[in-house]
Amino acid sequence: MVSFIVVDDSELDRFVTQNFLKRSDESLIINTFHDARDVLELIRENSKQPDPNPAIILLDLQMPFMNGFEFVEEFEKFPAEIKEKYTIIILTILSPDNNPGDIFRIYNFGAVKSIIEKPLTKEKLLTLLSHIKPAN
Amino acid sequence: MDDEQDNLVGFKASLRFDYQVLTAVTIPQAISCLDNHPEIRVIFCDQRMPVKTGVDFFEEIRISYPLPVRILLTAYTDVEAIIDSINKGNVFRYVKKPWVEAELVSAIEEANKFYLANSMLSVKNAELQEAYKELNKFAYSVSHDIRGPLSGILGAINLAREMDEVEEMKEMMFLMEKSVKKLDAYVLSMHDYYSLQRGELKITKIDFNELIHELKEIYSVNAKINHVAFKIDVNQTETFRNDIAPLRLIFNNLLSNAFKYQDKKSKNKSVEVTIDVQKGVATIYVKDTGIGILGSHVGEIFNLFYRSNSTEVGSGLGLYNVKNALLKLNGQIEVNSVLHQGTTFKVTIPSIG
Repeated sequence: MVSFIVVDDSELDRFVTQNFLKRSDESLIINTFHDARDVLELIRENSKQPDPNPAIILLDLQMPFMNGFEFVEEFEKFPAEIKEKYTIIILTILSPDNNPGDIFRIYNFGAVKSIIEKPLTKEKLLTLLSHIKPAN
Repeated sequence: MDDEQDNLVGFKASLRFDYQVLTAVTIPQAISCLDNHPEIRVIFCDQRMPVKTGVDFFEEIRISYPLPVRILLTAYTDVEAIIDSINKGNVFRYVKKPWVEAELVSAIEEANKFYLANSMLSVKNAELQEAYKELNKFAYSVSHDIRGPLSGILGAINLAREMDEVEEMKEMMFLMEKSVKKLDAYVLSMHDYYSLQRGELKITKIDFNELIHELKEIYSVNAKINHVAFKIDVNQTETFRNDIAPLRLIFNNLLSNAFKYQDKKSKNKSVEVTIDVQKGVATIYVKDTGIGILGSHVGEIFNLFYRSNSTEVGSGLGLYNVKNALLKLNGQIEVNSVLHQGTTFKVTIPSIG
């Protein structure tokens, strides 16, 4: 069973994302985090188990302490057999200040499958889920 | 600078009442003079000297002493020399020998204006660079701190369309309200930021008892709701003069932080304020029993848009504004913090005027 990991420093955004996911499928397992470093820790812990469950990480970019870019860079250091368990979806506000080069760079990492612009809507989420699910 | 001592004596004699005049007979002397007196604004140099011409001397010092304005003294009116002096020696003016005092004075005044304009320009340039840097930070912050909460609220509105249960709706409303309050606080601190950048001080007599009474009314509610003991001690017997607006800003930021960063699970929560006015200096302590600041973050908490905490995210403007307000009031701030035990800010502010 695939689970979801929502990483966002905003409490409201976590609530909204989690709630939208629940509405699409009541049985989804969803874990939320406000600090990306805790997610790295979780991945490290899970990798010790024999066959960890795959997960989809919904990742905000602008966060204090560890932002989304730094998270992806750290994530890329994991061995391939761990990385293949995870799919990263960027969920962020896009603005003219975002360096297009940065977005392009993060999109080039293997684990990053898609970018969704906030605010989240039901349509955006359903489109995303229909794209991801067959792959798992 | 002139190789003929007599000329130097004459020069100094006619100008010494209005200007500080230093003289040199040789080039090494002139250079050591420039080294020892970085305040030199105008250099007069004779063109015809035995080792080097005046133009060559100016060319030699062009890179190492770019600021002083150069004036060539010469009786010699060769066109080549004039062209050289401008192109190679970067000469500002010519004064013909023998000089007339009025001409010297007018040359000095013009040169001084040029010098001031030039040095003003480099100061303004540095200020502009600094302002641009802050502007960049603001552009980032506007997208994160204003558009962030807005997109969260929009997302919540989208979600509300799908919701039927009132309880769930209420839970979300509570979070939306928090986001709106955060936005509002952010806009207010932006306002503080700008009013500190501009505006002059309005000095009045400050009664700390009155100021603290005002703050007590604001923060007592918070203290009661969150079970935080709020203790205040003011000791002021002498007159203290200052601007109330930046003082209020300092107290408001330190107090709201002291309440905001309490450890929610702790049983003995307190915020203590003591103010002591002695010999024209107000010493203020704001002490809390909160979560404390990580040692490695202490050095950075006063920086623009720095946030030390990820759960109770602030605007990153509060303490930066405090620091700027203190800069304006010629005050000092020190912080002492122990993780999980609490933080104490010590502020000293002199009475003004």
